[in-house]
Amino acid sequence: MLVQQVVNGLTIGAIYAVVALGLTLVYGVLRILHVAHAGIYALGGYLGVATYARTHSLVLAFATATAGSGAAGWLVQRWIYLPLLSQPRIVPLIASIGLYIALEDLFRLVAGPYSLAFSARLPVGPLTMGSVTFTPAQLLVAAVGAPLLAVAWWVLTRTKVGLAWRALADDPPMAAATGVDVGRAVGLNVLLGSALAGAAGVLVGVFFNAVEPTMGSVPAYKGLAIIVLGGLGSYAGAVAAALLLGVVEAVAIGTVGLLPRDALAFLALIAILLVRPQGLWGRR
Amino acid sequence: MARRSVLLVLVCVGLAAAGARAQGEPIPIGLSAPLTGFGAPDGLSVRQAVELGVRQINAAGGVLGRQIRLVVYDDQAAPPQGVAVAQRLIERDRVVAAVGGSYSGATRGAAPIFQQNRVPFVVGYAVHPDITRAGPYVFRVGFLGPVEGAGAAEVARLYFNAQRVAMLTMDNDFGRALAQGFRDRAATTGLNIVGEVIYPLGEKDMAPHVTRVRAMNPDLIFVSGLFNEAALITRTARQLGVRAQILGEEGFDSPKYLELAGADAEGVVIVTNLNRDDPRAVVQTFLRDYRAAYKMEADMVGASSYDALRIIVDGLRRAGTTEAARLRDAIAATRNFNGVTGVLSFTPQRETIKPIQVQVVRNGQFRFFGVITDPEIITPP
Repeated sequence: MLVQQVVNGLTIGAIYAVVALGLTLVYGVLRILHVAHAGIYALGGYLGVATYARTHSLVLAFATATAGSGAAGWLVQRWIYLPLLSQPRIVPLIASIGLYIALEDLFRLVAGPYSLAFSARLPVGPLTMGSVTFTPAQLLVAAVGAPLLAVAWWVLTRTKVGLAWRALADDPPMAAATGVDVGRAVGLNVLLGSALAGAAGVLVGVFFNAVEPTMGSVPAYKGLAIIVLGGLGSYAGAVAAALLLGVVEAVAIGTVGLLPRDALAFLALIAILLVRPQGLWGRR
Repeated sequence: MARRSVLLVLVCVGLAAAGARAQGEPIPIGLSAPLTGFGAPDGLSVRQAVELGVRQINAAGGVLGRQIRLVVYDDQAAPPQGVAVAQRLIERDRVVAAVGGSYSGATRGAAPIFQQNRVPFVVGYAVHPDITRAGPYVFRVGFLGPVEGAGAAEVARLYFNAQRVAMLTMDNDFGRALAQGFRDRAATTGLNIVGEVIYPLGEKDMAPHVTRVRAMNPDLIFVSGLFNEAALITRTARQLGVRAQILGEEGFDSPKYLELAGADAEGVVIVTNLNRDDPRAVVQTFLRDYRAAYKMEADMVGASSYDALRIIVDGLRRAGTTEAARLRDAIAATRNFNGVTGVLSFTPQRETIKPIQVQVVRNGQFRFFGVITDPEIITPP
């Protein structure tokens, strides 16, 4: 049973990781706690479910969601974050919170208050290995989540733009002085992070068979807990913290029983920050 | 010829008199339902069913020679909203009675307000025992949670001869009340419960909970939840290879459950208070008219609230007045009322006694599976 719970937890953790990686990317270059990221993620869920309803193609659903969310994220940084960057950091944060609430209400007005069923027909059945069963939805999360994380990893560590992001995260004036096109680098960064969020929205929609206006509310704050836990701005830290949190949630709930799942993230956050203020993988 | 003219005049006078009375002020009746929030699909069913009832009653000439005017508010299934809606219905809209079309939380908040203001309040389907304890102005059409839970335990024994029963319980008023009834009845009949897993309200990822249940190796699982949780559990259980019989309750009884759970719902059995295959005309007419009006299937919450409205109107008719105390007495005297959810009578505690319906999902629809009529089970404590 423990192995099954770890599998259950890794699945949820992988979804957290895709969301949190986008969030930490944006934080790295803009130093903004991008709460509206959760709205971009819900947008991905809606675009995915709408596309799937018309085409019955999961590939197209993912394509629309990543493209639409990526574009929406880009617009947000261009029209809202950039003009506010010279303000104190609290200003873009409040703008981001306001934007998230506005997006949630927009989904409610456009698509109704109900959860929409995302009953995708998955091309695979459950896969059983010994006492462990991988459900079709879990296989989908693995099949989509792992490559997404791998691509993001490759962009970050093996491309010029990835290098530019890391330079910007370390020392923005120095990065600009060494010839990094800051506007372009930031734009691409938010584009990639938001596209990841869009894909995560579709994954969650299929996984829980539901897309709803409030689907972003838990990721909105849990994502922040994860990136702080991982060490603000640390990409590997965010992914590791997300997977760890998923497994801890599933194993704790699966063995102890009635535990407040969403409080666990913050209990862990408080406990770890008391011991390691820089987060699990952060640098002082 | 002369006699025919006199008759004609008499008929005209009679019609005019009836018309004049029917043109009197409409009678305001309130309805609270979760129109937005997580319960929105149930709220929609409730509103549609009660509005259908009002249209039917008004088309047939209304009651006491007056039309009915329905006043509907959204309580979001939240207790504070339930209180606010009750106050608004009483103070602003001056309703003569109200239908409780919401869940236990909001309804528990509203019931004492109606009681204090002495406005009859007939609750459709909320299961919590405290609701009717608010006082003599509060009635319930649906089952008490413990009664329904006991009915489910009887289904497990009688129809499935279950040897190893696991419980997967939602952690709120509804789930806890059902679980209590289920456990108590199981203890009486010797039904073997191998374990219970309690999951928090609003849970989305059911895999950890279902994995725990799977490890108990049950042959039947009694699941409580509303349509959302019910569908997630059904799908997760089947995907994780759990073949045990799933036994649900009235929270499953929604077209939304069938939509969300899809093919995985086939063979799931539930206890509820609406039997789609009941031959009585009142049931078949309701199901047909609802389908014609809304292009969707009626469900338990709609049928229960529809009955609550018709019990109020029947009370008005027998009381001959909208005066609160006499209306309350007339509703309390309801006997063998021919309702969609059964032939209903109120006990002195203002609860109903009616058979518990057992339905099965077959070809994507709820169909008749059985019925529990044992008075020891269905009589409210």
